[in-house]
Amino acid sequence: MNEKDFAAKLKPWLERSAQTLGEIQDTRLKAARLRALDAYREPVRLFGLVTVAEGTAQTIRYSFVQRALLFLPIAALLATLAFQSVQESDVGDIDAQLLTQELPPDAYLDQDFRAWLTKQQD
Amino acid sequence: MLFAFPAAALAYDPNVPPMPWASLSPQEQRILGPIASDWERMPGYQQQRLIASARNYPSMQPIQKQRFEERIRTWAAMTPGQRQAARETFQGLRRLPPEKQHELRERWLAEHAARGNGPARPAPPHPPGSR
Repeated sequence: MNEKDFAAKLKPWLERSAQTLGEIQDTRLKAARLRALDAYREPVRLFGLVTVAEGTAQTIRYSFVQRALLFLPIAALLATLAFQSVQESDVGDIDAQLLTQELPPDAYLDQDFRAWLTKQQD
Repeated sequence: MLFAFPAAALAYDPNVPPMPWASLSPQEQRILGPIASDWERMPGYQQQRLIASARNYPSMQPIQKQRFEERIRTWAAMTPGQRQAARETFQGLRRLPPEKQHELRERWLAEHAARGNGPARPAPPHPPGSR
């Protein structure tokens, strides 16, 4: 049985199960799907030679950065602090994130949400 | 999150000159249409971020496009004070560990669904930066 046949056989079962889901589960599944889509990365070509998963490429890049940090710890720390302070003040960056995040922008005005957040911060 | 947000890769430069609305492509104008009335008041770097999001729009999945459209309409309907309050709360959330952020998001989504997906219940106004 190939992949398409298997999918065709599985589909009616999944559709039947989906009908029994409650609204909360439905919302959670939708949120999980959006998270998965957001996390998906196209494979990248490394040095024009091999195709690797984006996660692997990120790991390789990270190891280079780690080595650089060993040689330049103070410079890296200062750069990180400077980058963080810039991020804090970049309103455009925050706005663009609010438009593409999992939660709607008005969720951040919700009294319950703000109360929970305050509690976590304490 | 990074997929939906290539704007984050842009360098922050407060000296980016503002772009007139008329200089945007018809497609960018259509996508950013809900915030057209705010456009001329935005600083250049903020416009740049939004243009980057609009350029990414065609490559989004339908469910992501729908989410973006809903978000931008909600954003357009918010007052400048509400937007500032939302930014502050969002920044507060980002300072939490990832698992706590996830927990709060899940909790809100569950409660929101239980409430019948109605609008968020706005918190009473507070002076910016008072938290």
